Amino acid sequence: MSSVATLPDRLGEYTEQMVAETGGDTRDGLVERLSLHALALGAVLLLVLPVVVAAIVSTKPTGIVTSVADLVPGRSGAANYRRALVGLGFWRFMLNSFVMAAIIVVGKLLVAALAALAIVYYRLPYKNLVFLVVLFTLMLPVPVRFVPLYRLVVELGWNNSFLAITVPYLASATTVFILRQHFRSIPSSLVETAKLDGVGPLRFLVSVLVPMSRGIIVGVSVIMFVYAWNQYLWPLVIIDTEGQQVAQVGLSLLRGQASSGEIAWSMVMTGSILTLLPPLALLVAFRKPLLETFTLQQR
Amino acid sequence: MSQRTVDGPQLSRRSALRASAGALTAAGLAGCSALGGSGDVQPISDDALTIWHAMGGGNGEVLQGLVDDFQSETGVNANLVFQDSYEGVLTKTLGALDSGEVPDLAQIDSLFAQQVLATGSVEPVENLLSDSFPVDDFLPNVTSFFSLDGSLQSMPFNNSNAIMYYNRTAFEEAGLDPDSPPTTLAEVRDYSETLVDEGVTEAGITWPNHVWFIEHFYSVDGQTLVDAKNGHGGQPSTLHADTETAREVYEWWRGMAADGLYSNPGIEAWGEATSTFLTGNAAMLLTSTSFVTGARNGAEENGFEVDNAFYPTVDGDRTGPVIGGASWFVPSDLPDDRREEIGQFLEFMASPSAQITWHKGTGYYPIRRAAIDQLESEGWFEQNPMYRTTFDQLTQAEETTATKRMLVGPARQVQTTIQDTSVELFDGQVDIDEGLAAMKTSVEEEFDRYYS
Amino acid sequence: MATREIFENRLQAGLLLFPTMVVSAVFLYYPAIRAVGLSFFQASFGRDDAFVALDNYARLFTSGTYLDSVFVSVLFTAVVVAGVMAFGLCVTFLIHEVELGKSAYLIAAIWPYALPPAVAGLVFLFLFHPTLGLVTSYIEALGVTVDWFTNGPQAFVVVALAAVWKQIGYNVIFMTAAMNNVPDSLTEAANLDGVGRFQRLMRVYVPVMSPTLVFLVVINTIYGFFGTFPMVDLMTKGGPAGATNILIYDLWRTAFQFYDFGFASAKSVVLFVVVGALMYVQFRLSDRYAYYGG
Repeated sequence: MSSVATLPDRLGEYTEQMVAETGGDTRDGLVERLSLHALALGAVLLLVLPVVVAAIVSTKPTGIVTSVADLVPGRSGAANYRRALVGLGFWRFMLNSFVMAAIIVVGKLLVAALAALAIVYYRLPYKNLVFLVVLFTLMLPVPVRFVPLYRLVVELGWNNSFLAITVPYLASATTVFILRQHFRSIPSSLVETAKLDGVGPLRFLVSVLVPMSRGIIVGVSVIMFVYAWNQYLWPLVIIDTEGQQVAQVGLSLLRGQASSGEIAWSMVMTGSILTLLPPLALLVAFRKPLLETFTLQQR
Repeated sequence: MSQRTVDGPQLSRRSALRASAGALTAAGLAGCSALGGSGDVQPISDDALTIWHAMGGGNGEVLQGLVDDFQSETGVNANLVFQDSYEGVLTKTLGALDSGEVPDLAQIDSLFAQQVLATGSVEPVENLLSDSFPVDDFLPNVTSFFSLDGSLQSMPFNNSNAIMYYNRTAFEEAGLDPDSPPTTLAEVRDYSETLVDEGVTEAGITWPNHVWFIEHFYSVDGQTLVDAKNGHGGQPSTLHADTETAREVYEWWRGMAADGLYSNPGIEAWGEATSTFLTGNAAMLLTSTSFVTGARNGAEENGFEVDNAFYPTVDGDRTGPVIGGASWFVPSDLPDDRREEIGQFLEFMASPSAQITWHKGTGYYPIRRAAIDQLESEGWFEQNPMYRTTFDQLTQAEETTATKRMLVGPARQVQTTIQDTSVELFDGQVDIDEGLAAMKTSVEEEFDRYYS
Repeated sequence: MATREIFENRLQAGLLLFPTMVVSAVFLYYPAIRAVGLSFFQASFGRDDAFVALDNYARLFTSGTYLDSVFVSVLFTAVVVAGVMAFGLCVTFLIHEVELGKSAYLIAAIWPYALPPAVAGLVFLFLFHPTLGLVTSYIEALGVTVDWFTNGPQAFVVVALAAVWKQIGYNVIFMTAAMNNVPDSLTEAANLDGVGRFQRLMRVYVPVMSPTLVFLVVINTIYGFFGTFPMVDLMTKGGPAGATNILIYDLWRTAFQFYDFGFASAKSVVLFVVVGALMYVQFRLSDRYAYYGG
């Protein structure tokens, strides 16, 4: 409905608003805003540059980069990535990481959803105690228990198997916590309706809770995927053979080979970029649900 | 846990958990104790020999070639599994021997031999060789280390010493005679100063900070590193850190580092050291004789001429280097058909033809006299002087307690203590006497704890 | 909340909780408890476990390496926490103040959350490598010799840098949410009073964000102690001479390089107590200093 006639007025209003926001002379305001941008840009560049350099180096044949002038993307990109994936077998590391992360994500979601369902929607004596018992496991990170855990897993015969790098992760205090918080934010009116309809717990989970939790489920899945994908210490300890090793530890093998001059440092960067891509892709694709889930976790 | 009687299912769940926890604890404690029972041992793979090794890069490829030959010759399947480093193989092997699920062969470094023998879970390889196998044909310097009471415990395979490689082209550029490389620490220093002053290289010499090199400085000087005949005559209790040898070595090292003549690649940084040498940052390199082939190829790629010379002595007197490298250990209590196949593998790897292929492809010694004779008749050593030098260093060595590599239980701890203190010493962070005394005390504690 | 509890069948509840409880019991609680038990023994490969009561704990006090490691860890974590919070806060604030391109800046600031610590370690190893590093040549142009394979403090700095860099993303996520929750009225009031930007940040925003900031201090502390293992393993392996030998690395080395399982268990128990105590202290402080009011 705006017409050209009101344009000067709107422009005037806009300028006034800008002046008010910057608290004074528009010229000063402009300088201040530009310097803000400069600082922000600088900060963000510091955060981004190292990996950009790594990406560029990953396309070079040797990885000898002595000055910024050398930072032109090289020609060996395709050759390097092909060599890393096939020649050095990195595809297997990535596949192992994928399988491990996928099992952990699906498994944890299921296990935690069931647990949260019980904690929130069941009348249970000592429910809070149970919840605390689960929560307390946050105080027991891998380093505190990995010596006996190693022995236990070896006794179970699970060393070098996917069981070893998935099952111990399936009980997740943070996931149960997040789902519980989220379930508690679902209006009780919906819950009561379900009760009146005589819905059983699993139907309730599938037809009521899940549709209401799509964002959270996606967010939590990304968090769990990133966590699982980035695991280093436990796979280092429990997996001996290259065939079962995950990408993170595979990187240290690459590093060893580069140090001894068997492969060029650029290959290490290639491996690094490969290892970085899946979680990054998920982060970028699902940043909105992810951010929502994070803020939920805080409360 | 509470004693409420109201919670039917919950209580039973809790006691079920407690019961299973109890069972696991029992199983766990049982698993804790030393493995004594037979029949507990199981090979990892049913249809192939599992062989754990630490040969990376080019050496790994040669090994794979040998294994392929073995498979086609005998029809026995064998899987090589690379474990990244000798430390990696050791950890996995100790874990495997503990759990009962074992590889058929493990390549264990000589530094860790004592630890593996101490488990009591390995079988002397002599028992696996056929009667007609010529055990006497092995080189005595090599096999004496791996034998106990005259019986061969593990099969030597890739054995080496440390040696000095140098860049002939750099020497020439600096005005040094490439045909007379330095032979003592003092000469190394002089040459380094010239090289650096002339601006030919950034540093004179480099080597990985690994205990093996300290062992060499000692052995070349005729000094044992630990007591009890370097561990071969009983349980060692102390480190000989308070000797002239030690003082001279560390003072020299400290001076070199302070004046920028020594380039530090890092602790156990084999690859970094060779890279530093091959890229021309240092003109001299101390590393294994197994690097000969790699040095030749690397020098060609980087456009310089490489040569090698005996490990520098502390003050001119030369006794000899210590044996290094690894041997094949075999877990005990494996089924008989397995043992037969393993015996075939061991014999194959020790055959003159395999030894020759292995030597030519890497630089590791052929340990069979028959192999050496054949190489000599071929004129191999004449045409490839670097291989000759490594060999001469071995054969010209005196056989004394000092040249028998130390046999210690807590090998990794001793190794780490010496390596870490070395950094403090050569970086000038502590006084020489103080640092050496601290090293000695720490190692004594470690021996005390291990052997008591 | 009683109206939510629509189900009463305890057997069903038990079954639902069963997987979580079993995994927690078997893989989390049981090993943790056994670690305590094992700490009273001397245990290694191929030898029987020997009961040594409190010997392992006594060893901790006399072990120079361990005490150094405690010092290094505390210093390292303090530096990492301070660095991450300070830089994170600045970045968050800048993004908050900027009007154009907020979401682009935000993504660029958050992305390190997805970065595997191992990759962070490798990239920094490469960039700062004494002989091959790109950044090295510029630093040396300033007259500083880059020699962190030998020089302890330098190694500490490089690893700390990698650790801080990687963790900023996670912090920015939470700080942004918290900063966005600051009521506009406060911002307007500050502007009307002529309060400068920096003052506004420190005097107004930080107090209002304090619950989140306390939460982040806890998370960053745990990260500093545990999450930085890959970086140490890939860059310095605890060296040179223990300069980056943080407790978790020392623990791993005692267990899986020295096979000294009893001693390692004693170290894990101590680590657990230390981290637990830190977290407790931080929660208590948060009760006192966090400003929850609106």
